[in-house]
Amino acid sequence: MEPKQLTAADYRTDVWNDWCPGCGNFGIVAAMYQALAEMKADPAETVVISGIGCSGKTAHFVNTTGVHTLHGRSLPFAQGIKLSNPALNVLINAGDGDLLGIGLGHFVALGRRNVDLVVMMHDNTVYALTKGQAAPTLHRGEKPKALNEPNIQDSVNPIALAVTSGYTFVARSYSSRINHLKETIKQAVRHKGSAFIDILQPCVTFDDIHTYDYYNKRVYELKADDWNPIVKDENEIQQKMMQAIAKSFEVDDRIPLGVFYENPLTPTFEERLSEKLPSYLGTPPSREKIEKNGKTIVDGDKFVEIFSQFIVEY
Amino acid sequence: MEELRYILGGPQGGGLETTSEVLSWSFAKSGYGILSDREYFSNIKGRHSYVHATVSGTAIPFHLSYPVNLVGAMDAETVFTHFQEIDKGGYLIYNKDEDNAKFDSIPSIETELKMRLNEFFKANGIGRTLGELAVYLAEKRQINVVALGYSSLLRELQQEASVIAAQASRYVSSILIGSIASLVGLDSSSLAFGLERRFRSGEMLEHNKIFSKIIARHIQTFSYKRPNLGKSSLNRGKMVVASGNDFVAMAKLVGGVRFQSYYPITPAADESFTLEKYEKVGGDHDLIVVFQTEDEIAAVTSAIGASLTGARSASATSGPGFDLMTEGLGWAGINEAPILVTYYQRGGPSTGQPTRGSQSDLLSSVFASHGEFPRIVLSSGDHSEAFWDTIDALNFAEMFQTPVIHLVDKFLANSIASTPMPDVSKIQVQRGSLVKKVGDEYHRFDFSSSVSPRAFIGDERMWYTGDEHNEIGHIDEDSENRIKMMTKRMDKMNLIEKNIPEERRYALYGDKDPEIVLLGWGFIKGVAIKALEQLRNEGIKASYFHIRTFVPFPNESVVSIFRNVGPERVVDVECNYEGQAGVLVRLNTGYQLKKRIVKFTGRPIYLNELVEATKRILSGSSQEVLSLGA
Repeated sequence: MEPKQLTAADYRTDVWNDWCPGCGNFGIVAAMYQALAEMKADPAETVVISGIGCSGKTAHFVNTTGVHTLHGRSLPFAQGIKLSNPALNVLINAGDGDLLGIGLGHFVALGRRNVDLVVMMHDNTVYALTKGQAAPTLHRGEKPKALNEPNIQDSVNPIALAVTSGYTFVARSYSSRINHLKETIKQAVRHKGSAFIDILQPCVTFDDIHTYDYYNKRVYELKADDWNPIVKDENEIQQKMMQAIAKSFEVDDRIPLGVFYENPLTPTFEERLSEKLPSYLGTPPSREKIEKNGKTIVDGDKFVEIFSQFIVEY
Repeated sequence: MEELRYILGGPQGGGLETTSEVLSWSFAKSGYGILSDREYFSNIKGRHSYVHATVSGTAIPFHLSYPVNLVGAMDAETVFTHFQEIDKGGYLIYNKDEDNAKFDSIPSIETELKMRLNEFFKANGIGRTLGELAVYLAEKRQINVVALGYSSLLRELQQEASVIAAQASRYVSSILIGSIASLVGLDSSSLAFGLERRFRSGEMLEHNKIFSKIIARHIQTFSYKRPNLGKSSLNRGKMVVASGNDFVAMAKLVGGVRFQSYYPITPAADESFTLEKYEKVGGDHDLIVVFQTEDEIAAVTSAIGASLTGARSASATSGPGFDLMTEGLGWAGINEAPILVTYYQRGGPSTGQPTRGSQSDLLSSVFASHGEFPRIVLSSGDHSEAFWDTIDALNFAEMFQTPVIHLVDKFLANSIASTPMPDVSKIQVQRGSLVKKVGDEYHRFDFSSSVSPRAFIGDERMWYTGDEHNEIGHIDEDSENRIKMMTKRMDKMNLIEKNIPEERRYALYGDKDPEIVLLGWGFIKGVAIKALEQLRNEGIKASYFHIRTFVPFPNESVVSIFRNVGPERVVDVECNYEGQAGVLVRLNTGYQLKKRIVKFTGRPIYLNELVEATKRILSGSSQEVLSLGA
């Protein structure tokens, strides 16, 4: 039987969405619903993984499998899931504090591996669910309204960090440009390797600086006629990375949206694994048969054969 | 002699581990049982490390003891560190080229030992050199000193095997192999077997074979009476000769682990290394993904992720790494995710004694992570238990859908033992309650049972969350739901109590009507059982109560021991300061252990000190703190 074509609305759960009215996150889930519908994503084979914070609830609002993990740890949970079952389509939704604060080590480690999954960073410059403390994306000297004093820590440049960490698809979008975000998500899903989307997302309750108005005045889309982020040849990697990093420093008056860097050439972690374990993609860990009628598949003869190094017969 | 006990010492990175392996395989091949422990510093090259072994032809040994019959020294530091441990009539193999070496000019000897040596040398009127010490040992201690010129031996090797001078130093550790083989009269085919297993083929193998003959010629020139192990009376058959780390790795592979994540840490990392070596478990099709993560947080959380997809998954770590895993452990608890963490205990707190052993993480494993959730905590007493406990742990994790912590101490992890091959046909793989093809109505946390039918991510749509949740897996803070969900989860402890029978939780050895009961766990098992034998020979009736699972706890049996023999006659024996198992005994049964024998130096408990301490307890002492071992 042909499964019925799901609409964007079908990808929304009936869990009441308790984000603040006007929250930028609504745009993010709206774009996800549309992207999933257009990609005909199978709800059982699509996994939305989130961390902790406002973004963490995303997993409950999307009508696919959802795994709402720990603060900062969405990426290693996601890698365990993906590497055990590489057929899954894995989308991570996590906050800037989650990915670049408490979870920064995991963020860099994922880039080094280039596991085929999508990281959507909800970039709102504050820790909203704890009432508006400075997130690692808040620039020094800025004072959103929840802060008593201006921020005295410098911000992380998420795009530059993703590029240098090894992410092979690095883009920025904006929660208000739902169509742009939807297309970016689809591109990121289609990309083979670790994809990172920095999603500008106003926190209407705690950030009175980075408002819709603030972003609407500044964002612009990178256009193909004067911007080519795609690595066509391995010799181009360094130049394309440098170009992306330089572009990522445009943050004040004009903020570019679009793909900063795209490298389809670096092998994914799954490919690296299957190089040494040829059956990996065909029968990954989650699909391995480990028992036969309740017995281990390794019988005595096989045990001796496998572990001959340890066996001594007297 | 009933058993041969030896110590081989040398600088870390000098080939001692190879020596220990070759000798272990060779002794096993010629029919002896062996236990070979490795003691080392947190260091790559240069610091003093040693191997302490027991070889027996009458029983498979699981204990170490002092004094030893033989010390084989690669360097002067070994002699200065271990000469007091040699039995009268025992043997010292050392390098006479270093006769002029003075202990106070060896930088790697720690200050405290130098001070003790200083006192000893002064009190006995010995000069400060190795040569003078050797004379003293021969004359005053009746030790058979086998003084070899290592450099001339290596020159002979260069001539006979055309080894180039620059490479000859690689063979210093082989001098110990050859000397011991020759002194003990190990048959040449068994020695060749050990060498072949280690070096496979090629010039290292050939050189070692030639070298052992050269060394044998020199050993023949010493007229000392040879140590006589006698012919082995052990049963013939297939033995597994491996470390505790390797036994656990084998069990994980056979038990179906297909995803293991880890971050390098001593003394756990060797297990994951072994798993990597066998990543193609059964040829082309079966495999294990061994995932080296950026930290232990990622290790445990990625293993949990893998578990949700249906892969049997596990991690292995040690104290500092386990601390990092605790938040993830709670996530597995609330999400009812099967996961196995093999917890190799080393000396703490903090970095503590990173390469030494301990049993000080028991309370940490029982109480780790905030909030309340069911868990199982198993502990292994020897290599065979480590194998079967791993198999059980994997089954328990899936049957009860909950985290399982498997405690192994460093003593077990890093010692090589010979154990009869496990009967793998007895291995059961129990995956618990599973479902497939349920469709939209699938609720991961269905209230129908405290163990809800589990579907794998990829087969059904489902939700997981670390928040309290409803049956579907969505966040829910309603009081009624909270009561039902907490009760459903915690009720697993009742299921666990029912399904893991009392006799699986402990083992009792020794006299049925004891005057004294030693209560212990982990690697204390081997030495305690041997101690019973010695005590019996001295007319003391003793038994050993061995705890195998801490959660669930063997309440009934502990209570009956206390009732039968009386609280005054139960002695807590542990490698920690507080008597942590004693704390759990009191917590679970209300009985307080009033006597204890503890050791927290990071070295294992040795047979002789346990026997002596037990006798002192019998004569009225209430606490004994053990200290033997360099």
